[in-house]
Amino acid sequence: MIILQLLVNGVALGAAYALVALGFVLVLNATSAVNFAQGDLVMAGGLLAVAAAPLLPLPGVLLLPVVMALMAGLGVLLALAAYMPLRRRPPVSVFISTIAVGIILQNGASVLFGPEPRAAPPLFSGGSLSLGGLVVAEQSLAIIAVAGLLIAAQGWLFARTQLGRRLRATAQDPEMARACGVPVTAMILATFALGTAYAGVAGLLLANQFFVAPTAGGDLILKAYIAVTIGGWGSVPGAVAGALVIALFEVGVSSVLSYPVALGALYVTLLLILVARPQGLFGEAARRRA
Amino acid sequence: MASALPLIGLLLAHAAAPVRAEEDISIPVLVPVTGFLSLEGTSQRNGALLALKDAVPGLTIRSDVIDTGTSPEAAVTALERAAGGGGVVAVGASMLGTQMLAMLPLAEEYGLPLVTVSGTASITEQGNPWVFRFFPGDAVTKEAHARYVVEELGKRRAAVIYQTTAYGQSGKAHLDTVLKRLGAEPVFAEGVDPTAKDLLPVLTKALAAGPDVLILHLHSGPTALFLRQAAAQGLTIPVVAGSAMHQPSTAALLEPAELKGVCAETAASPVSGGSPEMEAFTEAYRREFKAEPDAFALGQYDGTRMVLEAVKAGARTPQAVRDALAGGTHKGLAMTYRSDGKGNMAHSAVIVCYDGASRVPKLAKRYDNVTGVVP
Repeated sequence: MIILQLLVNGVALGAAYALVALGFVLVLNATSAVNFAQGDLVMAGGLLAVAAAPLLPLPGVLLLPVVMALMAGLGVLLALAAYMPLRRRPPVSVFISTIAVGIILQNGASVLFGPEPRAAPPLFSGGSLSLGGLVVAEQSLAIIAVAGLLIAAQGWLFARTQLGRRLRATAQDPEMARACGVPVTAMILATFALGTAYAGVAGLLLANQFFVAPTAGGDLILKAYIAVTIGGWGSVPGAVAGALVIALFEVGVSSVLSYPVALGALYVTLLLILVARPQGLFGEAARRRA
Repeated sequence: MASALPLIGLLLAHAAAPVRAEEDISIPVLVPVTGFLSLEGTSQRNGALLALKDAVPGLTIRSDVIDTGTSPEAAVTALERAAGGGGVVAVGASMLGTQMLAMLPLAEEYGLPLVTVSGTASITEQGNPWVFRFFPGDAVTKEAHARYVVEELGKRRAAVIYQTTAYGQSGKAHLDTVLKRLGAEPVFAEGVDPTAKDLLPVLTKALAAGPDVLILHLHSGPTALFLRQAAAQGLTIPVVAGSAMHQPSTAALLEPAELKGVCAETAASPVSGGSPEMEAFTEAYRREFKAEPDAFALGQYDGTRMVLEAVKAGARTPQAVRDALAGGTHKGLAMTYRSDGKGNMAHSAVIVCYDGASRVPKLAKRYDNVTGVVP
C-alpha cells in the first residue's frame, strides 16, 4: 500500500513540476527565448492567489481564471520590458533580462507580502480522500487533473488551431511569418501572456500543496530547466517526462536511499542522458540548447 | 594659491557637513531582509528597531537599516558603509553565519561590537572579542530539545529528521551528543534538502524504524510540510520539532488540528505570553509591524536593549559598549543574558507545545541557565 501511496505522491509532484515546465516550454517554442523568470512567475502567481483569496472569497477553482487573467497581463508586461527590446540581440541578453525580472519579482514580493511562506486556497477542498488505506490529498488529484488538462490544451492549441499555427510560424521564422501576414508582435505577446497564465495556474496549485515564499522561484526554475533538458529542448511530452523523472528520484529513489543520495543520482542520470542523448529523450538533434 | 586649496576644501567640507549633536550616536542594523533568510532577518530587523524606538530620552540614536542579502560580500560592504557613518557604538549584525564570519575580522579592525542572533556556533569560536550572540546556540537549545524528549516524554527511540544545511547538520550533531549521553541513541536519522517537496519517503522510512518519538530539526516551510503529511497519514507518536515550529508564520500554514501533540524548542515564544512585559512587547510589535513576533525578534530586541542600557549608563564609544556587553548581566524579556567569555550571551531555552485547538503554543518546560554561566 505504501508503494501505491508513494506512486500517487510521485505522479502529483511530477505533474506539479510539469505545470511549471509547461509555460517555460511554451515561451521557448514560440520565441526561442529562455525565460529564467518562469519560476518567479509561478511564485508570483501563488502569492497573487494568496492575496486575492480574502478579497474574492471564492473557491480556488473560481479564483483560478482571475489569477490566470492577471498573470496574463503580467506576461505582456514581461514581454514588453524584458523581451521585445532585446529580441534582436544575442540570446544571452534575454537570459539576463529575465533573470533580472525574476530578482525584481522576488524582492518585490518580499516587500509586498513579507518573507514568510504562505498557503493559497485549495482548488476544491483541502481535505484528503481515504481509499482503502491510501490517503490522497484532493489537491494532489487537482494538480494531476489540471496538468493533464493544460498539456492536452496546449497540444491542441499548437496542432489544431490557427492561433497555434501562427505561434509556431513565429517561432520558426519570424521574418517569414511576418511576410506571410502573421502579426508577429501580437503572437509574441500572446505567447508570453499564455506562458505566464500557466505560471499563475501552477502557482495557485502549488502554493496550497507546498506553500509559497518569495524565494520559491529559484528551485522551481531549476526543476523546470532540468525537466526540459531531460525531456528534450522544447518538447512538451519531453518536459512532462522530464518532470516525472525528477519526481521519480525525489519520491521513489529517496524512499529507498536517502534524499541527498537521490538528488545526487538524479544529477548523475542527467549527465548520462546529456552524454548519451544530448538532445534529450524526446528532442530533435537539430534544436539548440541554451 | 595651490597650497591654500586643501585648507579651502577642508573649510567647505566642514561647512557642508550636517551639524551633529554631541550626543548623536548610531546603531546601524545590517540584516538579511531579502533572500532565503529574509523571514528571520526581517524579525531581527523589527526586534532591533522596536528596541531603538524611544530608546534613551534626550539622546538621538540613528539606526540605518542596510539589507545584507545572503552573500558575505554584501555584509562586509554594509559594515564598511555603516562604519563610515560616524557615531557608531554597536551594530545589529546579520544572523547568517557566513556573513558574520566575513564581518568579524572587519569588526575587530574597526573596533565595533556586533550584536546578533546568529545560531552558527563558530562565530563565537574565532577568539574575536567583538561578537555578542543573544540567541542560544545549539549547545543550549538541543540540550533542552533532547532532555525534553527523554526526561519529560520518557521516549528513548527517537527518529531524527534534519535539514542538510549547516543549520540542520549542526543541530543534528548536538542532538546526537545529548541523546547519546542520555542513553537514547536515535533509531533513525536522515537529512532532507530544504527544497524537498514531498516528505512522505523520509516519514515512511522513519516510521519503519519503529521510533516512539519524531525529532525534527527543519526550516519553517519543510517543518509545516512534514507535519501536514504526517497528520494526513494519521501519525500517532509525538513530534518535538526545532525552533522553526515556534514561529507564528509556520503555525499559520497548518490547521490547529494538524498541530496537535507537536512541541518545539525555542529561545522564547513571545506570542505565548508569560509576563506583562512580554505581552506588552508582543502588542507593541504587532502595532508597529502588523506581524507576530518570534524568538529572533525578541533576541535582537533584548540584545539591542542591553546596548542601550550601556549607553544610558554613559557608554559613548564602541569600546565602552563592548566592555559593558562583555562584563555585564542583562535581565531581558526572554531570559537573563551574560557572556560566557566568548560572546555567547543566551543560556536558556524553552519547550512549547500546541494543544490542537489553537495556533498559539503553550509553554511546557523552561531550561534556564543550561551552561551555568549566569550567576
